[in-house]
Amino acid sequence: MNEALRRSRASVLAALIRDTFQEARARWLFWGLFGLSTLLIAIFLFVLRIDIVQGAISIMGIAPTTHQVDIRKFVNISYAVVSIVLYTWGTFLAVFASSGLIPSVLEAGRISLLLSKPLTRTMLLAGRYAGNVLVIAANHIYLICSIWIIIGVKTHIWELRFLLAIPLSIFIFAVLLCVVVLIGVVFESAALSVMISVALMLISAILAQRQFMMKLLDSEWSRQLWMACYWIVPKVYDLGAALRQIILHEHQTDWVTPLWTSALFGMVVLSGAMYLFQRRDF
Amino acid sequence: MRTEYAIQADGLEKIYRTRFRGREIKAVSNLTLHVPEGVKFGLLGPNGAGKTTFVKMLLSAVNPTSGSAKLFGKDARDPEARRPVGYLPENHRFPTYFTGRGMLDFYGALSGLDALERNKRIPGLLELVGLKDWGDVRIKKYSKGMLQRLGLAQALLHKPRLLVLDEPTDGVDPVGRREIRDILNGLTGTGVTIFINSHLLSEVESFCEYVAILKSGELALEGKISSLIAGRGYRVRASGVPEAALAEIRRLGVSILPSADAIEVQAVTLEQANTVIDKIRAAQGFIESFSASSSSLEDVFIRTTKSEKAA
Repeated sequence: MNEALRRSRASVLAALIRDTFQEARARWLFWGLFGLSTLLIAIFLFVLRIDIVQGAISIMGIAPTTHQVDIRKFVNISYAVVSIVLYTWGTFLAVFASSGLIPSVLEAGRISLLLSKPLTRTMLLAGRYAGNVLVIAANHIYLICSIWIIIGVKTHIWELRFLLAIPLSIFIFAVLLCVVVLIGVVFESAALSVMISVALMLISAILAQRQFMMKLLDSEWSRQLWMACYWIVPKVYDLGAALRQIILHEHQTDWVTPLWTSALFGMVVLSGAMYLFQRRDF
Repeated sequence: MRTEYAIQADGLEKIYRTRFRGREIKAVSNLTLHVPEGVKFGLLGPNGAGKTTFVKMLLSAVNPTSGSAKLFGKDARDPEARRPVGYLPENHRFPTYFTGRGMLDFYGALSGLDALERNKRIPGLLELVGLKDWGDVRIKKYSKGMLQRLGLAQALLHKPRLLVLDEPTDGVDPVGRREIRDILNGLTGTGVTIFINSHLLSEVESFCEYVAILKSGELALEGKISSLIAGRGYRVRASGVPEAALAEIRRLGVSILPSADAIEVQAVTLEQANTVIDKIRAAQGFIESFSASSSSLEDVFIRTTKSEKAA
């Protein structure tokens, strides 16, 4: 009986995920994301027609004896820069693309039928959330892997750390998607959810300048307020910076703390969204 | 083990509060309604009577403020209670990216049917609702009537024991309405409970066995349709009645309706009807027919919803 129930739940979850994919395709979000990613890959390919190695040598005036070491460093810097561009670009695009997928399922006449089925509201929202993350994950994997292969083929330097941009981008999108879900559940507004998610990304970059700000702020309470906001808001900027440092093999700062605090933020926001969704009347 | 009632609502109440002022609006008030298994039940009421809110509370789309609702003896809030329920909502919005077949497949999966079962049942259901050739067409190309029939197929897909239909023929032309009625009539005797929320009184009168009328969120009247609309008086049809006799009959307090070449006398009691017949016969008039007259469901509805206080 329990096994049958588990299978039934898995099948319901799979149906909800498939439905999200179908809707993303029908709204051209799926193909739009892939189209833009392909465009970016094409631009990247075009840029790399310039011989990056010889170009670097001539620009930097690297002496023949130190070629190996410096070229590797140059390629790693390129990897780091590209990873940050992809991380930022990918997250922005993903938030824009997915903002409509939550409010659409809450439309009157659609939600009442979904709720009449033998599934919990938590399952309904979780299925939608998971579907959304998978749509974006598919695009991130395509984009980042393509760029990695291009750089690798071109330079023969295969920097596996570059691929960390995939889980990290998906992770930060999953955190921001929690905000999209919460705003969607409360206000059913795609535009508002984009505004707030993008604002959080920008605020995260500002709040991350905390060491600098601690020197500027003169009162203790304002410094504490700044730090409180820093710890609450998801660390989009810090994680991007950590990615760059990892790729460059730099002495690493603490990247675990931004990771778990962002995850905690996402969990709290998503739990809030689930709670409010339970209480709402449709 | 089967329970006696498909729907069991006890003291169900829903109060909405306005967002800023917190003003209370009572949509459904202390509603107790029991729908036996296997019957065809109609829920009536004027606009804003709380019919849709009641249906949504049964299906957990709306959280009751107080009271309880059970489906086949299980708490309606338990998702498992909704497994034997097929539902066609009012003003449904099926995602237009689906084909008819895809839509049935999706909702069938949510109802707990496995892929094999869905593949087996979908073609038959598409045929049943007259959409056999439309299964692979995107539903944005469907007419309102076709969408309604597809919605009905969706509600029937998992062979529900309770079918809840909210305005099932809304926006459907008379032919489509007949087709929907025929499909529903086909379920007669199968043990499926059919619960229809409709504002079309004639439809409910011709299809349902039981009816409940809501008024301002309260249950105003409930019962078997045949007993609600029968026994309201007696009708005597006669011809060749002289004017003097008519004047005498009028004095009995009955209503006389002129009809082509005849009159129709509406008497309230059997004694009154017999007196009318005696007077007509004494005046050499001809009795053409005599019958117990029943009021239509519309009469019952109007009387119930217009009365100051709920019955």
